[in-house]
Amino acid sequence: MVGRIGRSLLIGGAMVCALLLAQAQAATTDAGTKVTQVTGLSGVKNKTKGRLLVDGSNLNFTHEQLKVDVPVSSVEDVVTGNDSQRAVGGALGTLSMLAPYGGGRFLSLFRTKLDTLTIKYRDSDGGLHGAIFTMPVGKAELLKKDLLAMGAHTSVPTEAAEAMPTAKEQKQ
Amino acid sequence: MSIARLKTFALVGLALAIIAPVLQAQSTTGPTKKMKAAGIKVMMIESNEIKLPAEFQVSLYEDLLAQLEKKSGLKAYREGDRRADSAADLVILHTSVTGFKEGSERLRQVTTVAGATSINVHCTFTDASGKTLLEEDIKGKVRFFGGNLRATYDFAKKTAQLAHEHFSPAARA
Repeated sequence: MVGRIGRSLLIGGAMVCALLLAQAQAATTDAGTKVTQVTGLSGVKNKTKGRLLVDGSNLNFTHEQLKVDVPVSSVEDVVTGNDSQRAVGGALGTLSMLAPYGGGRFLSLFRTKLDTLTIKYRDSDGGLHGAIFTMPVGKAELLKKDLLAMGAHTSVPTEAAEAMPTAKEQKQ
Repeated sequence: MSIARLKTFALVGLALAIIAPVLQAQSTTGPTKKMKAAGIKVMMIESNEIKLPAEFQVSLYEDLLAQLEKKSGLKAYREGDRRADSAADLVILHTSVTGFKEGSERLRQVTTVAGATSINVHCTFTDASGKTLLEEDIKGKVRFFGGNLRATYDFAKKTAQLAHEHFSPAARA
């Protein structure tokens, strides 16, 4: 009897966890990816944190009340890359440089990996813009795929697109 | 002649020896004649021979536009901007990367002497017809503090200063 109760409790718990996870995933995809706009997006200050989302035919960046839309059709190039940043950053990171016995330098060894997404796009006057975003690892390639699916261009094809011709060649 | 007077003569002579070449250089060079330009169109950075990461290319371009607008007093136009076609006395800035060394921020912070990032860019200022007005190699670098992309800011600042020294909306050639 006790075993049956325990088992049903376990199953119930697992189901609740799965539901919560699914909800959390849905929330991230609906709200967009957490990014930092490093530079280039018109009307947005450098190093602004916000959310980036491919919303229909627009690439949408939101930060609090600020909302910037870039038509995907105007995106001429999408390139992903990787970078890293200090695990302890900001004012605390700067203050840590004053720590005795090289404590600040020791902290500099700890870095978190980042993905970068670089886009080039044209404004309504034809002017060429470039924008750089950083985001958690693994997110940039997904955003790039979304952008390419909506009609953006790239000078560096995605891994899947690169792999396709090779598969065809192997068949022949 | 006393030793004190000899010392004074020696000191004055030394001071003159130091100051004279500086004064001579100033008198021969004089203030740079500025060329008239109302606006400057910045073309996207080219890096045909050097493999430059996309984020550095975009950062160079955006920092250049921001610094030119801020420092040179000229209206900065982007590549392809149709409004630039009607601008009088337009200067076009072509840039080509000739050297790039992607350092390491971690190495800089840990060692303070190693891991510098540097970018060498050949800048050519032309008029609308393509005639070269000014050419110079400019280096952007970050040695101690900041991320690798700070090298592009250093380059942009130097280029904007160069533009400020040679071009002015009010100047006459």
